[in-house]
Amino acid sequence: MENEISDLKNYKLSFHGQGKAYFGIVIVNWLLTVVTLGVYYPWAKAKNLQYLYGSTALNNDRFTFHGTGKEMFVGFIKAFVIFGLIYGILPLFFYLEMPILGAVIFYFAFIAILPVAIHGSYRYRFSRTSWRGIRFGYRGDRSELFVGFFKWIFFTIITLGIYGSWMEMKLRGYLLNNVRAGNVEFKYQGVGSKFFILNLKGYFLTIITLGIYSFWWYKDLFAYYVDNLSLHKEGQQIRMKSIATGGDFFKMIMLNFLIVFFTLGLGYAWAVTRTLNFMVSKIKLEGNIDLDSILQTEDDYNDATGDDMTGFLDMNFII
Amino acid sequence: MISTAGKYFDGISSKPQEIELKLDELNDQLRFDTSSCQINYAIGDISFEHIGSSLEIRNKIHSRVLIIVNNDDFTAAFISFLKRKGHISLYQRIIRLGFKTHLLIATVILTFIIAGYVLIIPWVGEKAVLLIPVSYDISMGDTFYDQFIINNEIDSTKTEALNSFSRHLQLNNTHKIHFTVIKSSTVNAFSLPDGNIIVFTGLIDLMKNYDELAGLIAHEVSHINNRHSMKMLCRNLSGYLFISAVLSDVNGIMAIIGDNVHNLQTLSYSRQFERQADEQGTILMIMNGINPTGMVELFTRLQSSEKVVVPAFMSSHPITTDRIVDIKRLINRTPHHHTFNPNLDKLFRKVKY
Repeated sequence: MENEISDLKNYKLSFHGQGKAYFGIVIVNWLLTVVTLGVYYPWAKAKNLQYLYGSTALNNDRFTFHGTGKEMFVGFIKAFVIFGLIYGILPLFFYLEMPILGAVIFYFAFIAILPVAIHGSYRYRFSRTSWRGIRFGYRGDRSELFVGFFKWIFFTIITLGIYGSWMEMKLRGYLLNNVRAGNVEFKYQGVGSKFFILNLKGYFLTIITLGIYSFWWYKDLFAYYVDNLSLHKEGQQIRMKSIATGGDFFKMIMLNFLIVFFTLGLGYAWAVTRTLNFMVSKIKLEGNIDLDSILQTEDDYNDATGDDMTGFLDMNFII
Repeated sequence: MISTAGKYFDGISSKPQEIELKLDELNDQLRFDTSSCQINYAIGDISFEHIGSSLEIRNKIHSRVLIIVNNDDFTAAFISFLKRKGHISLYQRIIRLGFKTHLLIATVILTFIIAGYVLIIPWVGEKAVLLIPVSYDISMGDTFYDQFIINNEIDSTKTEALNSFSRHLQLNNTHKIHFTVIKSSTVNAFSLPDGNIIVFTGLIDLMKNYDELAGLIAHEVSHINNRHSMKMLCRNLSGYLFISAVLSDVNGIMAIIGDNVHNLQTLSYSRQFERQADEQGTILMIMNGINPTGMVELFTRLQSSEKVVVPAFMSSHPITTDRIVDIKRLINRTPHHHTFNPNLDKLFRKVKY
């Protein structure tokens, strides 16, 4: 016991991004995207992620995003072809005079592409992330996720959406439990039942209070995601804890809204850096893993398809 | 040779190693010693990130190794050296221009977008209409008409009377015109692109003489003759595509603001079209030997039935008082002559009672 307490290390997550600097990134990206009629978009996305990752630090050492515009461009083209093929199903079966079969295959293909896209996105993002030269990695198995995803979707549909909370926790759990940073492994312990009750409470109180409770609902969601996440290495661990309050969320969201509104959208850069600064500063780490002792374990990896497909389907995963 | 203290990560573990990093400008190299060996990086083989006060240097060949330096003097010397050697990309140059220049760039892009929107979109809208075959107007109008009729009750006697009333007028119409009278207290009438014109009994009940009915017909037919519905659709769509293309890449909020500005702008197109229909409708009345003040009377009655006055910029129609003034001005400067037409008067009574 005594040994464990004296083992406790100091950790500090911090965000160093500034609205002014990020504004430059956003504006230059905008300029180049407009001038190239949109072709620059994947490069803009890479620059954006590079800045935001690079502005986040653990114990004053920054994270790095190694992804490049070229990789994302290739991913974008692939996603474009895949979605082109899926959207081609409908007119093809219409032409063959089997519209109902066509619609069934279309929706099936659309749902089937989701776990593939999520898997690809995780693999790409984490393989391109590093801290102190140590690469992150995602080691989930595509077919396992695929089978699980279909099972969860099936239960969610037959329970008219109630199973959705369990699905979200199982998906998040599967993904995060397969994430690692060198020989440090991530662990997510959120469960469907607690998440369901949290959402049920949030939903009804938000309606009763005419929306005011929504900030406290955000707080609960954020805490549930953060508090259930921990890092493990050879019996040692780091636990995470959210110290954000509903009032903090209220202040952050309202101020961001005012900034963006009164600058006609140009203040977006400040809203983003303020939000990230808020989230990062509200996560406290506690544990005994020695951050100088992490070992490299991951190989290099090359495929950005998944990353662009989730962009295509507009899904955002908070970790 | 400038040098600084830095941290070196070997890509095998996360343990930092303290190093003395030297920039050797003569040999185009970065040099440092680790506990086990001496390492040289050729300037051409390195990439760097400069975020905040921290300079991170990597080797393009061994992408896992990392050197971190927190020394502003060294960073400045390092970057100016790379600049002299031509290793700073255009992108990095633009990013380093600073906040004021970036704000200027933003202003310039916004100005171009506004200019493009104000000057190009209406033009594209007009030209696009010429490419769309008239048959498309007809099928679009038909579809809307069929759906509209299902949910409304037609007054067939008045419909017949109104159609024969319009046949007595020379309307310069490009499409076949057909009127339908709907039983409803709504004070309104509208035209569809295929030549169908819907009139509600609520509006007919307000009219006192056939000049007013002729004014209404002339106004609606002018909308159809000018393909106003299709022009509206083309302007709307091209404006919407333009806005989402240039703004949605920046952020969602700007795209939403753009959409709303576009909606207000669309209302102004709509007001332009109403004015044009007022003007051409009045001329049609004069050509048919009908008293053009019927148009003025029509709007005066509409005005008295209006309960709430919507400000001009938020309305799809010009303010009625303004329209009346404009029409009166047009009547005063156009020579006209009118005689009582007993035929039209008889048909008008049929439409009304």
